Amino acid sequence: MTKEPKIAIRNLYKIFGSDPQSVLPMVLDGMGKTELMEKHRHVLGLSDINVDIPPGETTVIMGLPGSGKSTLIRHLNRLIDPTSGEVLVNGENILDYDEKRLRQLRQHEMSMVFQKFALLPHRTVLQNAGMAPAVAGQSERAYAEEARKWLNRVGLEGQEQQYPHQLSGGMQQRVGIARALTSNSDIMLMDEAFSALDPLIRTDMQDLLIDLQAELHKTIVFITHDLDEALKLANHLVILKDGYVVQQGEPQDILLNPSDPYIEDFVSDINRARVLRVRSVMAKGEVDDAAVVGEIDANDMLESVIALSKGDTGLNYAVVEDGARVGTLHIKDLVRALVPADRPDEGERVA
Amino acid sequence: MPQSRDLTRGLEQGFLDIKDGLKVVVDPLTQPLSWALNEALWLMQATPWWIMIPVLMLITWAVSRSVKLAGFVALCFGFLAFIDFYDYTMQTLAIIFVCAFICVLFGVPIGIAMSRSDKVQRAMIPVLDMLQTLPPFVYLIPLIFLFSVTEPKLYGIAIILYAIVPVIRLTDLGIRLVDADVIEAADAFGMTKRQKLFGVQIPLALPNIMAGVNQTIMMSLAMVVIASLVSAPGLGVLVLRGIRSLELGVGLVSGLGIVLLTIILDRVTKAALARINASQN
Ligand SMILES: Nc1ncnc2c1ncn2[C@@H]1O[C@H](COP(=O)(O)OP(=O)(O)OP(=O)(O)O)[C@@H](O)[C@H]1O
Ligand SMILES: [Mg+2]
Repeated sequence: MTKEPKIAIRNLYKIFGSDPQSVLPMVLDGMGKTELMEKHRHVLGLSDINVDIPPGETTVIMGLPGSGKSTLIRHLNRLIDPTSGEVLVNGENILDYDEKRLRQLRQHEMSMVFQKFALLPHRTVLQNAGMAPAVAGQSERAYAEEARKWLNRVGLEGQEQQYPHQLSGGMQQRVGIARALTSNSDIMLMDEAFSALDPLIRTDMQDLLIDLQAELHKTIVFITHDLDEALKLANHLVILKDGYVVQQGEPQDILLNPSDPYIEDFVSDINRARVLRVRSVMAKGEVDDAAVVGEIDANDMLESVIALSKGDTGLNYAVVEDGARVGTLHIKDLVRALVPADRPDEGERVA
Repeated sequence: MPQSRDLTRGLEQGFLDIKDGLKVVVDPLTQPLSWALNEALWLMQATPWWIMIPVLMLITWAVSRSVKLAGFVALCFGFLAFIDFYDYTMQTLAIIFVCAFICVLFGVPIGIAMSRSDKVQRAMIPVLDMLQTLPPFVYLIPLIFLFSVTEPKLYGIAIILYAIVPVIRLTDLGIRLVDADVIEAADAFGMTKRQKLFGVQIPLALPNIMAGVNQTIMMSLAMVVIASLVSAPGLGVLVLRGIRSLELGVGLVSGLGIVLLTIILDRVTKAALARINASQN
């Protein structure tokens, strides 16, 4: 990755309790969450977080409840201040910002979408969508056009004069997304934005976000505890556990090479055929024309290749990316990739 | 018991000693209250009934959007006028308007200050508890020493001290109960403290604040009767006359007038409250 990170988190620590600074040295010396709680009655929220968030892509932060996801994302716009460490946005340490500069960051450079929507119940849909310009001092007349444009884009034509309580949950979250888009900020923070929605509506919203992202290329930081959602949205995946980063990188890599039993557990239950792409399992290099029976795209899901091959494990396909042949996919390799690597049989499994 | 006599005498002496100093400060500060009460009393009585009743109906309609309620208000005042209680009713109403307005004027900011700081809240709660539990008659005693009985502010202060508590409490509560997620969103979009207070916290606390206003009005009505003991005009005077000279009829009918007034004020403020609730949920 050669691009400068849009947001860089450096050696970030967050300790909750009556006197975090007093116990920070012990945490720096490696004291864990449980010990800190038992001996000093402080909660270790985040420990030595280092993450680079690339511009124009979706970074998903995933972890079980209580792993510190919400705490981490709230450091990016300083809804929470760290006990120690830096957060760089466009190369500037936002912890050096004064109140005024911080407000500017929140009004123009970052926007946020919340799990429970957090719309203003006494304002119309239009006024909610225009919250960022309104906070910056624009009148409703001035921001109406922009707000209406984004409301239409998320599929809420004609709802401008409704109040939030008149809309369904899915529609309310569309307002939440329109509100974030109307701010015209490069960065969008989304804390479990779809977790409160029904599965079907959730899928719709994920598709909407993918569409928007293909068009707008925002820097999105998306939090979820759902691996399927993470894999669907992520360009870059960060996995948190008990306040530290267990593994981060390209989702396909993490899936194929989990670095930790915690992640192996996490990824063991998903349908890999629906998540892995051809490029992750192909053999790179020269294609032997005689051995292949057809061409497939590097970004195809394995599932579609299985359908294409009708389950014949003897076949090979040439893999094409941007018009050029880049490798060969052996269906045998594909089948092997469908079960987690190096996984001993259940009977031999040792604790 | 000599001890108890010593104590009461000591207290009395102490109060008399600081009285003059206190009067120098409190007298000018509270003078506007006397003016406001006098003006309101004059205005409400000088306005002829055929202007007053439509105005009251209009106010009712404006806050409740209910024609039925406006009609009910007209009916009640018509009845009170019919039994020749119109002037007394207007006097009581004038006092309540002024006192409730001042309660809101001071109570809401005090409630906001309490909601923003746990320290202020901790300091205020015992004071509010005391104001609420002290028997209303007890307020009157030191006030009688401080001001002459002919001054309207004497009963004005007594009513305000007694009735201001609920609006303070419910403003504090209402703001503290505002959804933390919405406050977080306001912060995340860079609102200033001021924008948050006027754009989010007060509007969302409004149902609770209005419930406080309703209670405040009810309590001023209760106190305005007691305040007749210290020259407050209005229906309370008739109740007192009923008690003093054992005029059973006067006492009962004026009691009925107070009940009618209570019902009207309660209905109108509750209707306003219901409208706010309906627009938010
Ligand atoms: N204000 C606070 N005071 C004390 N502890 C806190 C505070 N906020 C969070 N924590 C603790 O920090 C840890 C991480 O919390 P956080 O809310 O970030 O988790 P999460 O990953 O977002 O979980 P969830 O999926 O439930 O939202 C938890 O152990 C939590 O108890
Ligand atoms: Mg969370």
